[in-house]
Amino acid sequence: MFRKAIITLASLTLILAACAPKLPAATEITSGTETPATPVTYTDGLGRSIEMTGSAQRVVSLTPATTEILFAIGAGSQVVGRDTFSDYPAEASTVTDIGGSMGKYNTEAIVNLKPDLVVAGGINPPELVASLETLGLKVFFLSNPTTMDELYARIRIMGNLTGADSGAEKVVTSMDAKAKEVDAKLSGITDKPVVYYELDATPFTAGPGTFVDQLISRAGGTNFGAKMDSAWAQISLEQLLVADPAFIVLGDSAYGETASTVSARPGWDVLTAVKEQKIFPFDDNLVSRPGPRLVDGLEALARLIHPEAYK
Amino acid sequence: MSKRFLPYVINLGLLVAAVILSLAIGSVFIAPADLWEILRNWLTHRPLPAGLETYSFIISDIRLPRTVLVLLTGAALGGSGTAYQGLFRNPLADPYLIGVASGAGLGAVLAMSIRWPYSFWGLLAVPMSAFAAAMLTVLLVYIMARVGQTVPTTNLILSGVAFSAFATALTSYLIISSQGEVRRALGWLMGGASQSSWQTVLAILPYLVIGLGVLLMNGHALNLLQFGDDQAQQLGLPVMRTKTVLLLAASLATAAAVSFSGIIGFIGLIVPHVMRLWWGADYRRLLPLSIMAGGGFLILADILARSVMRPQELPVGIVTALAGAPFFLWVLRKSKNQGYW
Repeated sequence: MFRKAIITLASLTLILAACAPKLPAATEITSGTETPATPVTYTDGLGRSIEMTGSAQRVVSLTPATTEILFAIGAGSQVVGRDTFSDYPAEASTVTDIGGSMGKYNTEAIVNLKPDLVVAGGINPPELVASLETLGLKVFFLSNPTTMDELYARIRIMGNLTGADSGAEKVVTSMDAKAKEVDAKLSGITDKPVVYYELDATPFTAGPGTFVDQLISRAGGTNFGAKMDSAWAQISLEQLLVADPAFIVLGDSAYGETASTVSARPGWDVLTAVKEQKIFPFDDNLVSRPGPRLVDGLEALARLIHPEAYK
Repeated sequence: MSKRFLPYVINLGLLVAAVILSLAIGSVFIAPADLWEILRNWLTHRPLPAGLETYSFIISDIRLPRTVLVLLTGAALGGSGTAYQGLFRNPLADPYLIGVASGAGLGAVLAMSIRWPYSFWGLLAVPMSAFAAAMLTVLLVYIMARVGQTVPTTNLILSGVAFSAFATALTSYLIISSQGEVRRALGWLMGGASQSSWQTVLAILPYLVIGLGVLLMNGHALNLLQFGDDQAQQLGLPVMRTKTVLLLAASLATAAAVSFSGIIGFIGLIVPHVMRLWWGADYRRLLPLSIMAGGGFLILADILARSVMRPQELPVGIVTALAGAPFFLWVLRKSKNQGYW
């Protein structure tokens, strides 16, 4: 009985697959008036080949990080659509909102904008890329960078795609200069205090493999979450008490967490950072979006952890 | 018009109205005149006037497949809900009673926790895994509930509850320990047809035709089952076999529906009740009417889901309960048919 059931089940599942979506063939619906140029082929973060003739003039960005990159490299005027959470720079808010909360985008609005390029980010599932391609859109998947050098490469690709190559190069140069300036400021520092970066009051922190982790150590601190086994980890107060961080950085300050709410949490009063009131609200967007502002996040963290270096 | 056909005419009218509304309403405004122009040109196979190509594409490739997928999903949930309520002779039964939803949820989240290659199979991993896990859960629940040659209803419900709790706990654990797939998992668990395309429709269609077809042929059997297993057996119904067939058919339709659309709650519970309050408890009529009403109701809920917070989209599962519960209470109060069950 049981074996028969399993066999039936397996074959049913296979039939489901057989009638299911074919990988869409990308076809363009419309392209603007472009001067004919030789097509250039790019490989995106999903390993797909994207062929571009000329540079993209009507771009839809699906993540805040890509929106920030596009505006920073000077391709902001080519952005015709952006996701709900793209709130930086301020000009981005005038661009058409195409949804994105709970991962649900407004495909109708995207199609109606007639974009010649849609830039998806690491937070978008491959199914979304496939379904947008079924609608004849050209989609470039910009996978999340894990290091600064990878981010620079991503920014340069955005420059290539939109024809803002020199703007991209400028952004990369100034980011690199700013990061190296921080390194220089901190060159003499040997003391690396433990920093607890809070993502959420439950409490969640950022573990290894995140930019938060990298930026804290580059800013002369020791990330409390570095020992966790996953990138986003829920922690217990016990672990926090043992590590006794010297700094508490509130990435969740936008959600109402402040030095006083943290101090009032039961049991937290014994932490050194609470006693010395080394609790700082922080703009999480500076470190959670893999975009041009990561170096600003780095500098802000360095100023917090080592104010003496910035005297 | 004879009274016999009145319910069908009304339900069909509501369904057609819902479909037209769903084609007309979206985040991009398409004037009714343009919509009419596009539909007329499709029907007469004439080329479209210039300027309407994008609108036509939006209607044919975004709104229409989505509407059809939502219709099929609602139909499956309405039909299966009716069958489950008849099968268990329990007004609280819904298509998820014996673990289809929790099994599908576990399968989907399990598939989401793995990074699949961007390929034909990789893109199908989530719906396939959801479908397989849902059917596997139902089979396990069924096997566990067996006592000798019979499957007592109480055993089925209890074993379903236990399996559901187990699968839900595993799902929650996977979500908590995942690396940032939480948003996607929650979106799926609350339901929504954002992955709709013609291929999706074709993929679930065979299961719905088989599942709902079997249910439709068993209206009379469900009527007999209302007398209780022993009486139904004495009336000549092979009770055990009928129940197994109905259970599998309803689960098959539900599993296929949720595999692409996610878990949409409440609809499979209230649609059969509303139909019963309006048109009476004869399962031969109740089944087709619930299938039509389920499709129509879910289309209306989906319209709300994508227009309330424009340009954002709500998970449709939130809307079905938020709008469905007050509607159901209203129908219940208005009904002269109190104590109808």
